[in-house]
This record gives sequence, C-alpha cells and structure tokens, in this order.
Amino acid sequence: MKTYKLYESSTHAWLVFGRDPGKPSQIIDTNQYMVVSKDNALLIDPGGIELFSAMLTTVIKQVPVEKITHLFASHQDPDIISSLGLWDQALENATLHSPWLWESFIRHFGMNNITYSPIPDEGGQLHLDDAMLRFIPAHYLHSSGNVNIYDPKAKILMSGDIGAALEEPEAPIYVDNFEAHIPKMKTFHQRWMPSNEAKNDWVSRVRELDIEMLCPQHGRIFRGDDVGRFLDWFESLEVGITQKALG
Amino acid sequence: MKPGSKKYNYMSSENCSYFVTAAVIAAKLDQATRAAQQLTLIASNAKALALRAGQGAAGFRPLTDFIHKLADVTVSSSKKIDLLATELSRMAAEKVRGDRAIAHFDTVYENAKDSPYIHSLDVVYKRTVEKQQDVVIAYRQQIDRLNEELDVLEKELRAAGILATLSRVEALQADSFYQDALNNVADNVESVAVSIKTHIKSSQSLVAELH
Repeated sequence: MKTYKLYESSTHAWLVFGRDPGKPSQIIDTNQYMVVSKDNALLIDPGGIELFSAMLTTVIKQVPVEKITHLFASHQDPDIISSLGLWDQALENATLHSPWLWESFIRHFGMNNITYSPIPDEGGQLHLDDAMLRFIPAHYLHSSGNVNIYDPKAKILMSGDIGAALEEPEAPIYVDNFEAHIPKMKTFHQRWMPSNEAKNDWVSRVRELDIEMLCPQHGRIFRGDDVGRFLDWFESLEVGITQKALG
Repeated sequence: MKPGSKKYNYMSSENCSYFVTAAVIAAKLDQATRAAQQLTLIASNAKALALRAGQGAAGFRPLTDFIHKLADVTVSSSKKIDLLATELSRMAAEKVRGDRAIAHFDTVYENAKDSPYIHSLDVVYKRTVEKQQDVVIAYRQQIDRLNEELDVLEKELRAAGILATLSRVEALQADSFYQDALNNVADNVESVAVSIKTHIKSSQSLVAELH
C-alpha cells in the first residue's frame, strides 16, 4: 500500500494510504487517511477486513501503534469499517467517532475495547493535540447517517463517497484532467447518491468552507480549482436516478 | 513466544472448520432438547391413561411417575447441554477471531520488519496471544464439561429402555381395552429415547473432533 503526504505543519500532518498492489482484485480500491499530531493519530475510514494487514503494515511505518488513539468511520459500509474487529484487538484505548445512527450496527463488526463516540446529526469537533477537525454532516450522501471531516487549517475536506470514482488501482492519486475524470465518477454519484435535496444542501454548505483539497474515499483527490469544478459539476448532476442507471 | 515467529498454534485442528462443528453440535443438542420435551408430553398422557384405566392398569401407574421423572431429568439435562454447546460455539468463534488477529499481526511483522515502530506492536502481540491462550483454555474446559454432561445424559437414558420394557410387561397384564394404548406409551418412550441418544452419539463424535 502506498503512502502520500498531503499536508504538514507544526501542529499536524495528513497522510493518505491506498493504491494497494496486493489488494484482491474483486474488492473496491479505497483511500484511507490518517491525521498525525504530536501525541495522537486519527485513522479515517480505516477500511475493510481484507485490507487490515496491509493497512497496519503501512501505518506502523509512520507511527507507533499506541499513537493511534482515534478512529473515524464516515458511515457503516464494510469498505469503511469492517476491519473494526481487528483494530479492536490492536488498539487498547482508542475511540471510534461515527454517526450516532450506526452505533448498534457498527458494533456487529466486533468492538470490545474501543469506545464509540457517537457524532450527532448536526456534526461536531475533534481536537487532536493542537489540531482541530470539524465533523461536517453529509447525510444521504450516500448513507443516511454520513459525516465528512474538515480541517480548517490544512483546508482539507475528507468527503467520504462524495467525489469518489471507480478506476484502476494504479491510477494517480490526484485528478489531473477534470473533464476526463467525469466519466469515472458520474454513474457512481447518480446511483449511490439518493437525494438531490441532500446533495444541493451539502454543496451550498461546503461552498462556505475554504477548501484546498477534497479527498474522497475512492479514486482521486481534487486540488485547487478542481474543487470548485467538482462542486459545480455535482450541483448540476441529477442523482438518485436508479432506474436510469440500471437501464 | 517470539512475535511474528508463526509458532503460535492457531487452531486445534488442521483447518478452521471447528467453529462450524461447534455450531453443528449446538444445533443437534437443540434438537435433543425438543425431543426431550416430547417425553414430558408422553409422561402426562401416560399418567392420564393410567388414571382412566384405574384398577384395569394398576401396575402401570407407578411407572408413569418414573416416566415423568425421566422426562424431567432429560429435559433439564438436555437444556443444560444445549446451553453449554451454544456457549462452546460462541467461544469457538471468539477463538477464530483471535487466531485471525494474530495471523494478521504475523503478516505485519514480516512486511514491516524495517519500520522504526515495529516493536510498538510487541505489547499488542503479547496481549493478544495471552488473551488467546486464556480463550483456548476456557474452550477446552468447555469441551470437557460438555463431554461429561453428554455422558451423564446418555446414562440417564438407559432407564428409558427399561421403562419401555416394564411398560410392555404391564400392558400385557392390563385390561385388553387399554393394552394398545399402554403399548403405544412404551413405543413412544423408546422412540424418543432412541432419537435423543442418536443426537447425543452424533454430538459425542463431533465433540471428539474438537480435541
């Protein structure tokens, strides 16, 4: 699994892990993110059970295991958090932050040691030493209980499945040609995102944020002007058209 | 044990099928419990029949008390065994989870051996292996308890054969009007006991695979 550093400052750093060449071909490629501060590390959408060994191998090259004190699951899907039962064996005193809606579902993955910190519908904040991260509601995009993470200092929005694209595992980590990238994400958004109302509400709220990087859980990261291009494209896209997508 | 040495004995058997076996045992013993509950019904019917027959089946009446006693003991014992087997199945699944975690950690030791933080995993590995050893000890003790209870129930069920035989003897001496019904009680007691014994025998051979 490859590691890319997205941001570094005196208070914290953002890393992304992905493009795993050892990943079984039948499972969707995922981007896992980690925020590292002075004494703590937050794993964002740590991934599925199939990726656990590769993820822990990659993470432990960056930080000692006891530094991982927080996990975040944007929603309940298996590619997001089905590795929880194994992280639960590895981390003795960690906290999992995830929408309140999914607590009793996510616990099915196995959770005896990790503490569940439910994120309310309106979002919230997490302080990692001197870094502050905001939980941004993104409900129904696609999950009915869904949260993004925004870092106002790094100007990074981890957007979960919003902005996701289905493409080859060896694809570059950044979008380099927005127009060419559209076909890789269009059907995904039309099919997975159920609500135009939720989408437009999210776009209007996210436009208020100062974003340098929009980081999805699948596919490539949008940088600079491509963030605005994505928001314009997403706003104009009709979503939830299941029958058309099937046809 | 040295972390990452792959010396840890993950499974007692060659493959992971033991937790499926544990679940199959639990299911079989659940069937045995249901069969034992049928015995309670047979005992009640036998008592009602003996009361109706009065002096016409006087020798049969004391036997109905024994059938009731056998039914109570069998139901209680098979329920206890059912719970033991269900708990064994849960422990087997927990054992699989622990084994898998250790296998994953071994892979990390191999693939991240040059990491400056690899030894931060040592405490995790030690904790997981120690916990797993406790799970394995408890799991084996549970197998022993289950075996003992299966043996006890098997012995208790030997009485069913004797009761069936005695019931047939008493049926011969009863009024001809009640003979068929009394023989039917004897057949039912025998048939349920055979059914429970079959589940027990099958469970005993499956339990033997878990050692």
